[in-house]
Amino acid sequence: MKQIVELTINGDPQSLAVEGHRSLLDTLREEAGLTGTKKGCDVGDCGACTVIVDGQPVNACLMLAVEAQGRNVETVEGMQQSIDILHPLQDAFMRHGASQCGFCTPGILMMARKLIEENPDPSDDEIRFGLSGNICRCTGYTKIFDAVRSAAAEIRAVRAQEETV
Amino acid sequence: MRRFAYHEPKTLEEASRLLVDLGENAHVLAGGTDLFVEIRERLRDVSDVVNIKNIPGMTDITWDPAVGLTFGALVTARQLETLPGVQRTYPNFAEALRLLASIQVRNRATVVGNLCRASPSADTIPPLIADGAIIHIYTPKGMRRMPLAEFFTGPGRTRLERGDIATGIVIPAPAPDSGRIYLKHGRRKAMELATVGVAVSLDRDGDTCTNARIALGAVGPTVLRASAAEALLKGRKITDELIAQVGAQAMAECTPISNVRASAEYRRSMVGVLTRRAVKTAMEATQ
Amino acid sequence: MNKPANNLRNAFSTIGKSVKREDVIEKVTGEGVYVADLKPVGMLYGKIKRSEVAHARIKRIDVSKALAYPGVKAVLTHEDVPRVLHYGSPHPRSVSCTKDQYILDDKVRYWGEGVAAVAAISEEIADEALDLIEVEYEELPAVFTPEEAMKPGAPQIHEVGPGGNLVLDPVRVERGDVDKGFAEADFVLEGEFSGGRPMPGYMEPNVCLADWDGSGKLTFWTSTQSSFMVRGILAEVLGLPRTKVRVLVDHMGGGFGAKQDCFQHEFLCALLARETRKPVRMEFTRCETFLAGRSRHPFKLWLKQGFRKDGTITARDMRIVFDSGAYGSHSPGVTTVGTNSATSLYRCENVRLDGRAVYTNTPIAGAFRGYGVVQTYYALDIQMDEAAERLGMDPADLKLKNAVREGDIAPSGHAIVGHGLEACIEHGTRVFDWKGLRQGARCPDPAASHVRKGWGLGCEMHGSSAYPGIKEQGNALIKVNEDGSVTLMTGAAGLGTGAHTALAQIAAEELNMPFESVSVVHGDTDAVPWDIGAFASHTTYLVGSATRMAAAEARAGILRRAAEKLQTTADALDMVDGRIFLRASPDSGLTVAEAMGPTPGIPSANILGRGTYEPTKSYSFAAHFVEVTVDTETGLVTVDRVVPVHDVGKVIHPIAAAGQIEGGIQQGIGHTLTEDYIIDTETGRSLNAGLVDYKMPLSMDMPDIDTVILEAAPDPGGPWGAKGVGEDPIIAIGPAIANAIHDAIGVRFHHYPITPEDILNALNEKERQS
Repeated sequence: MKQIVELTINGDPQSLAVEGHRSLLDTLREEAGLTGTKKGCDVGDCGACTVIVDGQPVNACLMLAVEAQGRNVETVEGMQQSIDILHPLQDAFMRHGASQCGFCTPGILMMARKLIEENPDPSDDEIRFGLSGNICRCTGYTKIFDAVRSAAAEIRAVRAQEETV
Repeated sequence: MRRFAYHEPKTLEEASRLLVDLGENAHVLAGGTDLFVEIRERLRDVSDVVNIKNIPGMTDITWDPAVGLTFGALVTARQLETLPGVQRTYPNFAEALRLLASIQVRNRATVVGNLCRASPSADTIPPLIADGAIIHIYTPKGMRRMPLAEFFTGPGRTRLERGDIATGIVIPAPAPDSGRIYLKHGRRKAMELATVGVAVSLDRDGDTCTNARIALGAVGPTVLRASAAEALLKGRKITDELIAQVGAQAMAECTPISNVRASAEYRRSMVGVLTRRAVKTAMEATQ
Repeated sequence: MNKPANNLRNAFSTIGKSVKREDVIEKVTGEGVYVADLKPVGMLYGKIKRSEVAHARIKRIDVSKALAYPGVKAVLTHEDVPRVLHYGSPHPRSVSCTKDQYILDDKVRYWGEGVAAVAAISEEIADEALDLIEVEYEELPAVFTPEEAMKPGAPQIHEVGPGGNLVLDPVRVERGDVDKGFAEADFVLEGEFSGGRPMPGYMEPNVCLADWDGSGKLTFWTSTQSSFMVRGILAEVLGLPRTKVRVLVDHMGGGFGAKQDCFQHEFLCALLARETRKPVRMEFTRCETFLAGRSRHPFKLWLKQGFRKDGTITARDMRIVFDSGAYGSHSPGVTTVGTNSATSLYRCENVRLDGRAVYTNTPIAGAFRGYGVVQTYYALDIQMDEAAERLGMDPADLKLKNAVREGDIAPSGHAIVGHGLEACIEHGTRVFDWKGLRQGARCPDPAASHVRKGWGLGCEMHGSSAYPGIKEQGNALIKVNEDGSVTLMTGAAGLGTGAHTALAQIAAEELNMPFESVSVVHGDTDAVPWDIGAFASHTTYLVGSATRMAAAEARAGILRRAAEKLQTTADALDMVDGRIFLRASPDSGLTVAEAMGPTPGIPSANILGRGTYEPTKSYSFAAHFVEVTVDTETGLVTVDRVVPVHDVGKVIHPIAAAGQIEGGIQQGIGHTLTEDYIIDTETGRSLNAGLVDYKMPLSMDMPDIDTVILEAAPDPGGPWGAKGVGEDPIIAIGPAIANAIHDAIGVRFHHYPITPEDILNALNEKERQS
């Protein structure tokens, strides 16, 4: 039996009819048409489905859609600042070669965004710890660390500039 | 995922009744980070999921120097991990939380859920047992309290009966001069199920140990207390020799099995190594 | 149409620069379409029922309950599908392939093999219906190791093949006089080596989507490295002309070689779609990527080498047995390449090799980055380290002395061009401070005597292209548009390596036009030229060369057209950075758009460039320098630092090349220390088909990697000398780690993964002996 779940996805209010057993991940991908969030394992081991719910990164595969009632869900599709302007992390991932096959990328971007928001100047160890629930099998992580460091520096520089203005 | 019916009770009484009425294939959903995995991997037949998240009164975290730390069944691992008070007062518990799966999982997983899952390798159990935590349980006949050390009856099994719901935990306040530590052994630094986990909490008087609790994870059907090893420490001045004896005693007290993660022999020898390291560190820790 | 000469140029406009990979924009925004993201109207979900016995005949299979289950639209068993014996490894040009598979058979040969397939209106219903399929098995005796499988009287897994559970006739290689070589040796080293069952662990589980149109044409989206191979084998097995099968793949989430086969689920998905007249999507669970994916071949290897006191190798005798699992898949190729690789790396004139692949009732081993060479060079490099120890020499010096040189006969049988290995070892020795570090203390903190450090070196070489095993061919088509932009059409798959960007760079460089003017069309067998598939580290080398040829032809066409417009001859013109001008007066000229576009009385031009390239082979080289820490109480090994030094001839995209190297190191660290897909040798069951107990190194486990890329030995066969890089890194890292562990604790390991338990057991054994 389906029930209506009202939630906000990337700023837009949505009503979705879902069955009680459906995961938030399947609902985003199959019902809301937001396929940027990936299914790498469906059991919380890989982090490819990381989305941000009410400000906290979670595995969308380990959450029921009905549990998102009234919540604010953010996915990779909402990450750009505008149609033309990428988030600094997205841009840094491109420049630094942090995305190869790209399957882990949306989840890692969401996790890294949260990491930088909480900690604008993360140490290498903090970046490693922050991304420890996201499997990347292509890059060896080196380029991902480069990209996160670079984006964090860019965001700090922009902020510093805004503060002086 | 296999289909199941979904329920959202508003009270403990309602939830408890649902669990009784729906029978053995009805399961409580708190964090869901184990439940959904077990459904998908076909480890558990689940006809009904009873979500207890809309039940009020289980989301609080309180600290009282006389009582200790109290938190409800819906408090997530990540909430506790990031509390400075927890990091300061219960570094063993904070470490266990930090080493549990991933941040994403800890944002959903509840500590009480991790306990009720009763995995012998669960990271949160050894430090909570070593610290003498008490679990609070709603039963159809009224509330019960039980030392966590008595809560587990086997792998995946607890003293909860059908209709019982664990509602919260109290970790007693540590004694003034005490040290506590949790050491986890795994092949990777994150996303690991413990091959062996050792928690040691000691009360001290200078370099003498006045009281000790040692809990061993993943080396028996439940997390074990190494009581004889604890007895060796009690009232004794800590020397390298004594530490070696305690490690050997803990090895003798554990009952590991061999599986894909490690052999029983290796697990036993890691109990020795980790116990020695933990006792030494707990004696040196300043809190 | 001649291949452009690798004329030396001081400055390149595009290659050698880390331009932005255009395909990555879609990856970082979430817009990139992977097959699982597609959901045509009316789509059904396919699932596979898998065997729970390792070797059996299916006595009875009853699908009536599953068919009656509400929402189920079709169920297929071996009784319903075409019975065509086919290749697992779809390389019809290969010298050795093994036809040993049916879509579904009345036999199962390993635990986890598909026995039936269901299509239903939801994934949940399809999954639930699997339980309603009743299968009655007559169990057959099973064998789970090559040793058991090769015993006289062992149960035969296949009716085809040379017998004795061999997948193919033994691969035998003999050069020089081995017996004489051993007679001349001052000492002989002999050892047995073995390796577990590493998995590629690509993040995107296998997935495909089939849809038939009214004319009987199959459109098939699939996550594959070899779309034309999938087209070919699907067409053959389903009895269709090639024009009735269109294979599409846009983004794919990694493959690492293993997504080269045409898989059982791909046939079943196509047949379910035909049966139901609906699109059907079939997506593996993570568990199924283990059960039905492809692993590296587990192996046993015996290696004996003779050495002179000066370090010269006088003879090499090697036997290797690869465990193929239940089907042949890539075993012929892996056995051939892996066995032959032992002729080289370290020079030896007298070589005798014997390689075999054996069927067992275990999951299928297939193609995977390093393709048989990981196994042989693990043994070869470790034994070189042992020889250095015996000689009292620095292993780097011994390896340098014996490193393969220009003109040596390569594993492929042709003379090697360039000698990059020497440069890699020499350069790495310096930047790693190899000699300095090895003089340091193995126990840096006397207060923590259980913590020991060690430093190791591992070397490798690997061919770009599968020549001579497969006579390869790379194709490219370039179309110059009327606005001056350029479209490159390629069949090469974009499995995540950045290959399309590299190809666009090569086209832009040869055209001498801005990189931004080149766009790439790929992934549609109806639209792009035939391609053999993205494997064997050959895309840049092979398709890159074809692209360069196509670009040269297109450039000539552009200049001819401009000459027409300027009323001059093409040889009077030059084009730099997309601007065409008269050599005699460089200030006057026109843009490509002006040349191509229409002007009154002259329509737009139609200019095409075609490139077809049939390569031989080049070799890339690498030396990996590694620092490890060993905790001698727990046996845990930490890789602290890696300096990989690679010779790639000419680097096209430095960041993408480094990314390949670093990713290969990650997999190689996993394979050497933590990763092993374990099959119960009593029942054949998979014991760790998931990401918790199949332990891939994660962000906190990875060391610092300081990648060095050299252009030491450009190969004339590749564009501007470029060679492959995809497979090399995974080969060198393993022996480097094993050698570093020995340096730290004085214990040799001849197998992988080297577990903490192995370390402790070996240390205990060492203590007992001393």
